[in-house]
Amino acid sequence: MFETISNFVAAFLTLSIFSFLYKDNPFYKFAEALLVGISMGYAIPLVYENVFMPYVYTPIFLNHKFIIIIPALLGSLYMLRFSKNLGWLSRYPIVFGMSIVGMSIPLSIHSSVLVQMRSAMLPIDGINSALIFIGTVTILLYFFFSKAHKGIYGKVTNVGIWFMMIGFGASFGYTVMARVSLLIGRIQFLLGDWLGLIK
Amino acid sequence: MNKNVIKFFDKIQNIDRRYIYLVVAFSIIIPLLIPFNSPTYVTKPTEDIYKKIDSFAGDENKAILMSFTHDASTMPELFPMEVSVLRHCFERNIKVFTICWLPAAAPLVDYAINTAKEDFDVQSGVDYCNFGYKPWAIQLPIMLGMGDDIAKAVETDSQGRKVENLEIMKNIKNYDDMNLVIDFAASSSSITWITYARARFGANIAAGVTAVMVADNYPYLQTGQLMGMLRGLKGAAEYEKLVDVFAAYESEDYPNGRPFSNEIIKETRVPITGDTVPYKYKKARIGMNAQSVAHIMMIFFILLGNIGYFITKKKEI
Repeated sequence: MFETISNFVAAFLTLSIFSFLYKDNPFYKFAEALLVGISMGYAIPLVYENVFMPYVYTPIFLNHKFIIIIPALLGSLYMLRFSKNLGWLSRYPIVFGMSIVGMSIPLSIHSSVLVQMRSAMLPIDGINSALIFIGTVTILLYFFFSKAHKGIYGKVTNVGIWFMMIGFGASFGYTVMARVSLLIGRIQFLLGDWLGLIK
Repeated sequence: MNKNVIKFFDKIQNIDRRYIYLVVAFSIIIPLLIPFNSPTYVTKPTEDIYKKIDSFAGDENKAILMSFTHDASTMPELFPMEVSVLRHCFERNIKVFTICWLPAAAPLVDYAINTAKEDFDVQSGVDYCNFGYKPWAIQLPIMLGMGDDIAKAVETDSQGRKVENLEIMKNIKNYDDMNLVIDFAASSSSITWITYARARFGANIAAGVTAVMVADNYPYLQTGQLMGMLRGLKGAAEYEKLVDVFAAYESEDYPNGRPFSNEIIKETRVPITGDTVPYKYKKARIGMNAQSVAHIMMIFFILLGNIGYFITKKKEI
């Protein structure tokens, strides 16, 4: 019984959102506002139960780990963003958070720069590695703006543009595929879970 | 050029976009209502994940971690992947942990586990363990902490039990034992796992991502930092097939699934029509039928639109 009612509500909200494809209407606006409200309403008690209780209340009040008061106070400074006079204090927890960036620099350089460079410097032993080599070099040359893109140099950078265009096309193709997949998911729900036409 | 042709393309250039929506909707609805058996070709990035997970079969000293970094909006692509991987683990007696970093992902983890475990005699804390929702703010300490001691880093599971006391934790200490992390995400969050868990502790990382994020993750797959990748609904369909063909295979010689073989996967076609495979285990493959038809429709519209554009342009000249 509960499943039937919940499926009916979900189907009504799905159709309300889809109705925007025809034109903007009150059903769409209602479903959109409901989503925002429910997301917040759901997140607040969950965060209270899973963050505030185990990481703030329990250590301080039950386990008497009073050192936790310092990060708790630091974190609560975020709330001062709403104050005109004390808003500047909210920058301190942000600064503290930014220190993590410093920690991640060596590891990020390793995974996002050094390893990528190493794999771009492998011997050209096939069509794929040859394409990667040509693509990497021509695109890097395209982004070198100290020399005018004319003559032979311009032709080489044009190859870089072609590589980028193919890359953007592939990326866009994947995006279309993702959006169609989401539509398929919703239609599978409407036809299967709600109407019971797919089994 | 024939006046009627020009008139037709003129009309098409100005067609109300809602008619196109309608055609796309029908191109999805019809294949879903009338499923047909189309071949699913398994690609290497999917195969690599399957083989890695399968190598842990029956090994009490190995486990995998599934990280859920998405909400319900991307479920159609990611949920079938998650159910397939869980089914693989339950079929082949592989220890599996789950964790999520977004409040909205917490019910999805339960939903995925409950969907997969219906057909198996598995027990929470023994065969699988859900670490539950952990706030994003402490993702880094947990991610790094698991490199030393998982039980200390995670502390409690979703039911509030001490992780160190759970039977599943026997012989599982850190990334050396929980040797594969699969991040299911609608973002580039797998890069965080690569940066911290792989670069520092050498953990194997794989990704299950929405199709939108595939291009962002390819450089990491090409460099081997991602040992495999499930790409959108297609990746989910491929994994469903692998589980059907190998992990769920039963015979006298192989009572609990059979090992992976390139020859078998090339030759085998799993029918998705009929009742041989439950709907929940073939959802992505049925979806891929609709995906293929929708793509053909779109290619047709793109070609038609371009032909119309050039014809009307020529007429204007």
